[in-house]
Amino acid sequence: MGNKQTTFTEEQLEAYQDCTYFTRKEILRLHGRFRELAPHLVPLDYTNNPDIRVPLSLIVTMPELKENPFRERIVETFSEDGQGNLSFNDFVDMFSALCEASPRELKTIYAFKIYDFNRDSFICKEDLEKTLNRLTKGELTAEEVALVCDKAIEEADLDGDSKLSFADFENMISKAPDFLSNFHIRI
Amino acid sequence: MKELVSMSTLEQTRAIRELTRSFEEKKRIRNKVLAFRSVKKSHEFTWFAELSENASLFFRRCGYTMRSARQALELWHGVMKEIGGKFGSSVLTYFMFLKWLLLFNIFSFVVNFSFITVPLLVYDPNITSSVHFRGLELLTGAGYFTHTVMYYGAYSNETLQHGVEYNLQLAYFFTIAVYMVLCGITLIFSMASSFKKNFVLVDPASTSAWQLLCSWDFSVTSEKTVTQRKNNLRVQLKESLSEKAQKELLTLPEKLKRFGIHLGSWLVSTALVVGCAVSIFFLCQYEGKLFSQWGPGAASLQQEAETLLVPFVVSLLNLVIPLFFSLFNKLEHYSNKRSQIYTLVIRNVFLRMSVLGVLCYYWMNEVSLRAPSQCWESMVGQALYRLVIFDFLFLMLGSFFGEFLRNVIGTKLHRRLGSPEFDVARNVLDLIYAQTLAWIGIYFSPLLPSIQILKFLILFYLKKVSLTQNCQPPRRTGRAAQMQTIFIFLLFFPFFVGAISIVGYTAWSLNPSQNCGPFRGLNQTFSVVEVWIDGLQSLPGSGWAVWIYENIIRSELFYFLVTLIILGITYVFYQLIQGRKELIGLLKQRIVNEGKDKSYLLDKLQNLHMSRPKKDTRQSKDGRNSHQPSLSGHSDAVRQALLARQQAEQEEATYSDGVSVPADISTSSALMQAMLARQKAERENEDYYQRAEDPPSSFSALSLAMEARQRAEGEMLQENYRKEHFYENPTTASSAVSQVMQARLRAEESSAVMQVMQARQQAEQEAGMQWTDVQLQNQAVSSSSAVAQALQARLRAEEESPASSVMMQVMQARQQAEQEAGMQWAHVQPQNPAAVGSSALIQAMLARQQAQNEYDDGY
Repeated sequence: MGNKQTTFTEEQLEAYQDCTYFTRKEILRLHGRFRELAPHLVPLDYTNNPDIRVPLSLIVTMPELKENPFRERIVETFSEDGQGNLSFNDFVDMFSALCEASPRELKTIYAFKIYDFNRDSFICKEDLEKTLNRLTKGELTAEEVALVCDKAIEEADLDGDSKLSFADFENMISKAPDFLSNFHIRI
Repeated sequence: MKELVSMSTLEQTRAIRELTRSFEEKKRIRNKVLAFRSVKKSHEFTWFAELSENASLFFRRCGYTMRSARQALELWHGVMKEIGGKFGSSVLTYFMFLKWLLLFNIFSFVVNFSFITVPLLVYDPNITSSVHFRGLELLTGAGYFTHTVMYYGAYSNETLQHGVEYNLQLAYFFTIAVYMVLCGITLIFSMASSFKKNFVLVDPASTSAWQLLCSWDFSVTSEKTVTQRKNNLRVQLKESLSEKAQKELLTLPEKLKRFGIHLGSWLVSTALVVGCAVSIFFLCQYEGKLFSQWGPGAASLQQEAETLLVPFVVSLLNLVIPLFFSLFNKLEHYSNKRSQIYTLVIRNVFLRMSVLGVLCYYWMNEVSLRAPSQCWESMVGQALYRLVIFDFLFLMLGSFFGEFLRNVIGTKLHRRLGSPEFDVARNVLDLIYAQTLAWIGIYFSPLLPSIQILKFLILFYLKKVSLTQNCQPPRRTGRAAQMQTIFIFLLFFPFFVGAISIVGYTAWSLNPSQNCGPFRGLNQTFSVVEVWIDGLQSLPGSGWAVWIYENIIRSELFYFLVTLIILGITYVFYQLIQGRKELIGLLKQRIVNEGKDKSYLLDKLQNLHMSRPKKDTRQSKDGRNSHQPSLSGHSDAVRQALLARQQAEQEEATYSDGVSVPADISTSSALMQAMLARQKAERENEDYYQRAEDPPSSFSALSLAMEARQRAEGEMLQENYRKEHFYENPTTASSAVSQVMQARLRAEESSAVMQVMQARQQAEQEAGMQWTDVQLQNQAVSSSSAVAQALQARLRAEEESPASSVMMQVMQARQQAEQEAGMQWAHVQPQNPAAVGSSALIQAMLARQQAQNEYDDGY
């Protein structure tokens, strides 16, 4: 608290605390991490809300995301401009949704968005195939991939439209207690 | 927005955080809510509102500060992150558990030390041992330590008189009792919350969906682990595919063979456990005989070393027997991994429970009846101390041999073996066992938690180093969260309950030593409360305590009634659960049925669609002179509309692929979408719908809406004016406030209604326009009342044709479902760029959204 340099004003910090699951210390830590990514872009002083976006290619070099098979999807999902560029607010949003304290509902919504590669509000077979290829380095044969995806849809699809709507996804998540602990990035 | 304002601050923050909007929007909403609040507050009179506002702000700030402080105090944040990143959540579970137990022990040490030991040290600071320190005591806990504050025996039964009275007897009793009760409550709560979180309707059937969508651990950051996990997942998926193929091939003899192996391994492991228990019992008796031959003086070094035999054997068995169990487990064939792990856990628990049970039986029934010259509680305390120490040594040995040597063998000598996996289940069971020892020992050796703290601290770093140096992450991650719940449950149920019942039995039924300890001279430990109450009776003003003691603590009737009530409540809850289960089953069935209905209807529609082109040509022939909105035409319209909807859905799905959509489909889908939008609008304001249905609907309704808006705006202006006015004349406070509020309410209502109507009309107009296009292009029939026709057709179809009314029902059902899906979808859908294609829907929804926004802005 004896910090001389001001990165954020009191009001800004309070707003961050009210709207995310982070404490002020974590917000400052996040700012540090954000600045590390692009020191030439991101200023230390954020009191006047500069509109600065860090491109996706830099964000995914974070050690927390570097090895994640869904890193691009995660960043794209939280990017306001849809291009994968993140402002600091998007950045905070992203880790707030992925932190331990965020509730199941929120995580479910964002997870659904992440897995919905073609953004048609359904996780269809195509999305599942993409997911599977990312999870297995594409080492399964096409036939096996199709089998697994069919099985997954068959298991989770409640209304029989052979794609997973959000309701199906939510229902599946509610039966998977691990999801909460797995869908979690420590910062 | 309205809801947000009416919430308390805490709920508000939570609700804002849970919004799936971007931070900017959340901030905007928050600022609005705050601003509205302050406005509202300033209108409400007096200091009270201000005070409560300030108080809530203050508490919120306090909450943030507390959270920051807790985070600063959080142990090993970096280490935990590293472990989670390298080995995943399931291994992290072990370390979290270890940390949790460590905090537990720190708490118990602080409590015991400050309430039991410090007063004694203040009262009598020079408790010195007659024996000098020899070094072996660190292992045996005897000799030099025997008469220190480490054990029960050294504590006094006197009452301190330094200004205030401090009864050491009572302090000892109540500290232990309160500690045990607190432990129990903590365990029950963490167990309940864990159950609530992790055991929600676990459905073992969905494995591949789970593996695909839920099993990836986002916290993993190490490249090696990621590669390994990917490989594991691939292997598992392949296995599950082949397993499915294999399952049918299992013949009866094979089944019998498997069953035989299961039975055999159960028998052998039970025999092993029983053998261990019996041998430990006889070993204890043998040791007891040795002890009884000792003289009353200090034991020689060799005699002292002999006491190490029992803990050595016990710890050795605890280390070796589980290896056998693992071996059996490998021989057996399980259909799924989970039952394999559970079997292993059950056998291990069985082993530890019986070992501890035998030891406790020996202590309670043989040691406690020894010669009164010896302090039997201290002896039990020493035995527990030795067990704790030896358990620690063997844990270290186990990690050395099981992990370090195994790693060396696996990587250098026998390449095929590879590095060992970190066995979470076995390691957690070790921790549970260690903690149980500490719980049992708390009565006999109040400072045992200090040893436990040291033990866990060293263990944490040891395991961390051993893990990072020697182990690879577990191949099968299983369901870590569920395992954690089971571990907490195990810690509670056999182990903590066992420990508390042993301590309870000691306190209620056994005779405390007559020459040492705080309870000397009493028949039972619990008599200390009786004596205290007797003392209280003479004091004035303590009647209630005596009454409570007489009528509640000591009355069987009370416990009888409480038990009955609890049983009753349990039964009611049980019935509730059964009811819920049935309900869930029914609802599931309904979802399945509706899915079937949907696909059936879609099939039918497709068939109809196939037969339609013929009709169309016929219609276009005679459609010129005859107006022809016959019955078939109406049902055709409905059919068309439904088809359009179906196609619109398809279109939504395919749009992102860049498949171009035929013009006629998209336009008719537009109509359909508009109808849907209209229905939504209807839903939002049903009573207005009635009015809007009147013949001169569109234009007059629009003008009406405009009027309404103007009125609303006027009222807003008025309101603003009044506000200013109000500021100038504070004397007319209450009436002005009420007027302003009323005006605002009216404005809100009318503007909201108006917006909804506008949205609807916009949608209708657009639909109408597009419909006209269709008519012009396809059939060259100039019908300006196309929308009206379609609507009429729909209405009539509802009345006349049962088949299409079914379709309508389906549509309505869908609409209902949408309604149920709730606000979330309203948020999610507009953001979805894929829906760009269906323009009318989007526009209608945008209009609605706008209406919503403006309605919000009405504040």
